[in-house]
Amino acid sequence: MSRLIDVENLTLQFDTDEGRITAVDDVSFSLEAGEVMGLVGESGSGKSVTAKSLMKLNPRNAIYGEDTKITLHLDDGPVDVMSLQNDREMKVVRGGAISLIFQEPMASFAPAISIGDQMVEQLLIHTDFSKARAKEVSVEMLDRVGISDPSARFGQYAFELSGGMRQRAMIAMALSTKPKLLIADEPTTALDVTIQAQVIDLMKDLVTEFGMGIIFITHDLGVIAQTADKVAVMYLGRLVEQGTVRDVIRRPAHPYTRGLLAALPTLDDIDAPLTPIPGDIPSPLERPSGCVYHTRCQEFIGARCATHVPAFSQVDTDHAAGCHLYGSAGGTE
Amino acid sequence: MSQKPLITTKDLSVHYPLRGGLIGPTPFVRAVENVNIEIAPGSFYGLVGESGSGKTTLGRAMLRAAPISQGEVLFEDGEVEYSLKNLGKKELKDYRKRAQLIFQDPYAALSPRMTVRDIIAEPLEVMGMTKSRAETDERVREIAAKCRLNVEHLRRFPHAFSGGQRQRISIARALVSGPKFIVADESVAALDVSIQADVLNLLKAIQEEMGLTFLFISHDLSVVAHVCDHVAVMYLGRLVETAPTRTLFSGPRHPYTKALLSAIPSLDPDDRGKAQKLEGEIPSPTNPPPGCKFQTRCPFAVDRCRVEEPLLESAGTEHNLACHRWKELASS
Amino acid sequence: MTETNIYDASVDQNAKDAYFTASQGQLIWTRFKKQKAAMVGAWVLVILVLSGIFAPFHTPYDPTISGRDKDYLNGAPTIPQFCDDNGCSARPFVYALERERSIKTNFRWVTTKNTEKRLYVHFFVEGDPYKMFGLNFSTHLFGLDAGYLHLFGTDSTGKDIYSRTFHAINTSLAVGTIGVFIAFVLALIIGGISGFYGGWVDSSIQMVTDAVRTIPAIPLFMALAAFIPDTWSSEERFFFISIILGFIGWPTLARRVRTHLLTERNQEYVLAAKLCGASPAHVIRKHLLPSFTSYIIVDLVISFPYMVLSETALSFIGLGLKDPVNSLGVMLQNVTSADVLLNYQWYFIPVIFFIVLVMAFVFVGDGLRDAADPYGDTKK
Repeated sequence: MSRLIDVENLTLQFDTDEGRITAVDDVSFSLEAGEVMGLVGESGSGKSVTAKSLMKLNPRNAIYGEDTKITLHLDDGPVDVMSLQNDREMKVVRGGAISLIFQEPMASFAPAISIGDQMVEQLLIHTDFSKARAKEVSVEMLDRVGISDPSARFGQYAFELSGGMRQRAMIAMALSTKPKLLIADEPTTALDVTIQAQVIDLMKDLVTEFGMGIIFITHDLGVIAQTADKVAVMYLGRLVEQGTVRDVIRRPAHPYTRGLLAALPTLDDIDAPLTPIPGDIPSPLERPSGCVYHTRCQEFIGARCATHVPAFSQVDTDHAAGCHLYGSAGGTE
Repeated sequence: MSQKPLITTKDLSVHYPLRGGLIGPTPFVRAVENVNIEIAPGSFYGLVGESGSGKTTLGRAMLRAAPISQGEVLFEDGEVEYSLKNLGKKELKDYRKRAQLIFQDPYAALSPRMTVRDIIAEPLEVMGMTKSRAETDERVREIAAKCRLNVEHLRRFPHAFSGGQRQRISIARALVSGPKFIVADESVAALDVSIQADVLNLLKAIQEEMGLTFLFISHDLSVVAHVCDHVAVMYLGRLVETAPTRTLFSGPRHPYTKALLSAIPSLDPDDRGKAQKLEGEIPSPTNPPPGCKFQTRCPFAVDRCRVEEPLLESAGTEHNLACHRWKELASS
Repeated sequence: MTETNIYDASVDQNAKDAYFTASQGQLIWTRFKKQKAAMVGAWVLVILVLSGIFAPFHTPYDPTISGRDKDYLNGAPTIPQFCDDNGCSARPFVYALERERSIKTNFRWVTTKNTEKRLYVHFFVEGDPYKMFGLNFSTHLFGLDAGYLHLFGTDSTGKDIYSRTFHAINTSLAVGTIGVFIAFVLALIIGGISGFYGGWVDSSIQMVTDAVRTIPAIPLFMALAAFIPDTWSSEERFFFISIILGFIGWPTLARRVRTHLLTERNQEYVLAAKLCGASPAHVIRKHLLPSFTSYIIVDLVISFPYMVLSETALSFIGLGLKDPVNSLGVMLQNVTSADVLLNYQWYFIPVIFFIVLVMAFVFVGDGLRDAADPYGDTKK
């Protein structure tokens, strides 16, 4: 496996009417080719914003931190994403090396252009295919994602397809340019469970086949357990825990991850009480000082949690958490 | 069942006219068809189904917020007995006090132009249940405290609150008239996991404290498994299986219920790909397939399933299901 | 990296509480105040409206033929000054104008400034009588004891353009107000019925609305202008124009009212109220109307400049108000001759006011719309 992307010290703030909001705070991770990383978090955790930063897709009022460094390792050498300025330069990344699929597929298809035409157009922009070849590839892709009668679907519009079909068509479109990295932002959240299971299966197959890296964003730990190789848990813009999927789900190290798992209803033991995490997710305008989670933490270990941002410390091989429970005297004020 | 049910539906059907062309007969959406359900008082009854299964419409019909096309809905709480299909104006007004709805979206369900106090007080004022403003305030405070809302916050507008808090306001509004029966329509679906558990626990606590009966509509089987005592599974407007929660989750009989359960992504990373996957998608309710509604996706469908619609039959104590082949499938 | 909270906790708490207990109206106002262009527009608008309303008082002369300066036709502006070659004075003054026709001037009337004779500007001088709010006055904010002061010059009949401009603003705003009012009442009733009941009522009303929208404005106006008898007084003409504008303007507003109602009545909180047994009256009063007011105000402000523009356009093509009446359209029409362009550029001063007025309306309207839009919230 080779390194695909390195994200170092990603910090992102937004200038809003109410003041400057920190959406992502000092997040670092990396991904190998062919690896699926689950990015878990609740609303306001900054998981989508983080993923969009990899393509610099955030709105104009976004301010990236000075230390932020995102390196994409492509066949012809590394690309420093932060240094890309205009749309022309970004083409390498957007829709080229990185593709994106959303929760609401309807939003990513132009309503008045047929699905096939959109796929062809995208291929013409990013590859040197002829039009005929592009059409051929598109139909092949539609077939590959399990859309029946792909050549007929090719001429249809997004509104003519059902929710599951639309999601498949979007995956087909995202993969037709053979991206190195696929960002899937809650791709199954709007779907029914039976359809969700189909889409998850499809994505798993595609990883094995295409060998690309996937960043799978979701709030659903079950979906993560079924798809991801490793997991990063985010809370209020901070990475709180990172590790292999087995480690994080079976031996969660951070109190927040533990809280999430305890709050999740599962079918294994339907009599187990649900334990909510006390309190509400603070508004991004009122980010707590110190450890962002200390206002709700049930393993609060004294004043240090409220004043010092915990450093990320190794709990085990390939398993790290940002919590004072593990750190030595570390942490920044 | 020893107790008389609080809500009984008898062959309930809800059909919505579709806005079609001017010529020809108006097409109908058969949102709910021939549904028989009995909800015992004090029960936390779960209603499960995918989108388009008609679960929301069924819930609304029980509140007389959807037209009852055929069949009946009976309500009986020991004080009054109503047949919802033919309620007089006065009776309907009284029924509104006894049955209430909690919505899914905690943002759309609260008017942005009213303070929390006014939102919770609205049912009281509309129904004329209190005589003075002081009495209304008293009642609002009482119910707000029960829903763990800070009394200080009553002056605030909804925009000041997070999703979980808004949902608690929504719950307080539904409870303020002192209802017996509450329909909670996907009431935790829009909430974050860490908050969802809190709202579920609140609903359970309130139910026990006030002796309420809940119809809990959800697409999330794991949530239903944890809070409900009875579960009904719907598919395309029909009930396919009803049973006490334990029975249903330990031994689902209907192929659809089985598929639904196995489609839930397991939290065990080593338990991948074992699930029995369902092909295709739920057909449109405007154009349902003949015979058993599930036959287009059912792996066990035979010719009989394609022509004859199965009826709900008993498969054990309080366990009913609608499948032609459940006995064969159980023995094999 | 930690965010430090240095501010006083109690102040913070109060500010937070103020935000949480702020009504939608207050929130809109807060957002509106943050927009500089809209705030400037609002101030300009307030000043213009007030100066329009109080035009008879703060302008020195009657803008009609009775207040004309017959000795100073097409006269250039006379600007008060404090100093000249003969020294300075604390009170601003203008020079006396003398008109003469003699052999020296080739028997043409020629106006000359007599720089020896100063006319001092006084405040609260008695002048032409006028009516304001139904009462008779004759005091003007400023003027001269004798002679005339023309800040913006005079027109071909010697009427003071300064006085005319502000009276014109008043007239145009009045036409706009009546027009908008009629359009709005119609729009509320028609759009309201359409949106509240929906179904076939909605469909048929929409058909009528669309039919009205297709009527081309200019030919209609021309037909109407031909219909207006010459014997009508300027007041009658004025009301007629306002009413016509109102009857033409309603469909767009009605459509917006309807759309808003259709979305609003399907809101879950409206259903919640209905499930409590709320009557249509309660739903309209408690939910629909309040949800509306902000949009109504925005719509009013946005549609206002169009009314003023229509009035102006009508008067400009000679179909609306005619010269003796002071409206912005009439003033605009007066600048169209080549003579004005070459020799009497001060005729353009009212045009500047017209542009400023319309711009102010547009800025305020835009600002209000952005402030009232719940999606305008920049929450990432």
